[in-house]
Amino acid sequence: MTTAVKERKLTVARAMAEAVAQEMRLDPKVFVMGEDIGQLGGVFGNTRGLYDEFGKTRIRDTPISETAFIGAAVGAASDGMRPIVELMFVDFFGVCMDAIYNLMAKNTYFSGGSVKVPMVLMTSGGGGYSDAGQHSQCLYGTFAHLPGMKVVSPSNAYDAKGMMTAAIRDDNPVVFMYHKGLQGMGWLGTEAGATVNVPEESYEVPFGKAAVVREGTDVTIVGLAMGVHNALKAADLLAKKGVSAEVVDLRTLVPLDRETVFDSVRKTGRLIVVDEDYHSFGVSGEIIASVCERDISVLKAAPRRVAYPDVPIPFSRPMEQFCLPNPDKIVAAFDSIAGA
Amino acid sequence: MASDIVIADDMWDGDEQAVVTNWFASDGATVTQGMLLAEIMVAKIQHEIRAPANGVLTIVRKVDDVVSKGDVVGRIA
Repeated sequence: MTTAVKERKLTVARAMAEAVAQEMRLDPKVFVMGEDIGQLGGVFGNTRGLYDEFGKTRIRDTPISETAFIGAAVGAASDGMRPIVELMFVDFFGVCMDAIYNLMAKNTYFSGGSVKVPMVLMTSGGGGYSDAGQHSQCLYGTFAHLPGMKVVSPSNAYDAKGMMTAAIRDDNPVVFMYHKGLQGMGWLGTEAGATVNVPEESYEVPFGKAAVVREGTDVTIVGLAMGVHNALKAADLLAKKGVSAEVVDLRTLVPLDRETVFDSVRKTGRLIVVDEDYHSFGVSGEIIASVCERDISVLKAAPRRVAYPDVPIPFSRPMEQFCLPNPDKIVAAFDSIAGA
Repeated sequence: MASDIVIADDMWDGDEQAVVTNWFASDGATVTQGMLLAEIMVAKIQHEIRAPANGVLTIVRKVDDVVSKGDVVGRIA
């Protein structure tokens, strides 16, 4: 007979909302701003229930003007509040990037540390559901490249809750990038592996600590967010061929846990990086560099990356699916270095 | 006594079909009355389905199944 385990599965969307609600109950300085985050509960479900509990002064629907309301959040944070502000699609960052990378990311430095900017910029990324090139990008590398802000992206509901709690409590600006395909929202595609058991009580998942989500000895597959699920499925396929794959979930890009990646590659000797962001100048290159710069001799074979090709994301479903990372591409990447 | 988990007629307006988007409890899990069990989606809006009784859950309609008002999505025994 199997032991009855107390189940409390949540989607990433519900886990995020629960973390926000718990912090809002503790700290009156925490409030939320964004488009459709009020009565609708967020287009991606991550503020559902908050409006009913906290009302319109703390759960503030904004006009469609990211320039204004993200700028307002930077001001509020610099003045002692702890805003959580939603940029509905990360693709829209163009109109508000000055507030993000010249103000949010730099105010603390420019003030010699006398001004803190404890805000969370939460934003959706990722494709796979035919929403075309202005609603499907990940842009991890774009944000992680610019100093002055933490950049995190959970792969499952447990991490999403703990990382949101940590983000709200952090005195630095945090860009919380959630993948639409992991939200449990149905019309965005449903990755079942993201909906996991989540404790009801509050907890933090600390930044800068990657998770080895599957242990193995022959190859290290590194990813984040949706990439972790592709990596786990690839690891299942590889196991059928007798290959033991280790999967590392980066969880946070800034700070980046290079140590866990390096330790894993030292054990396996092979490295594949999975990234739904663009191939060039991004996360995948950074991960590979952080191993090679430290000790190239741990690699038995050239590292490989399975990333999004350097093209704007197509609307056509067959074309988009052709471009996206997937488990078969990861297996093919392994096959290309298996003999080494 | 077994309880059917039925999609209520007043869950949304009209007779559009819905899709099961999430089960928050596993097949065979022990559930308690009122606990959130599943979400179903109509026109991009999710609706909650809660447990009508205490007992052991049997999932009848899986994630991604298309369902209508009145359908039995699960049973609690």
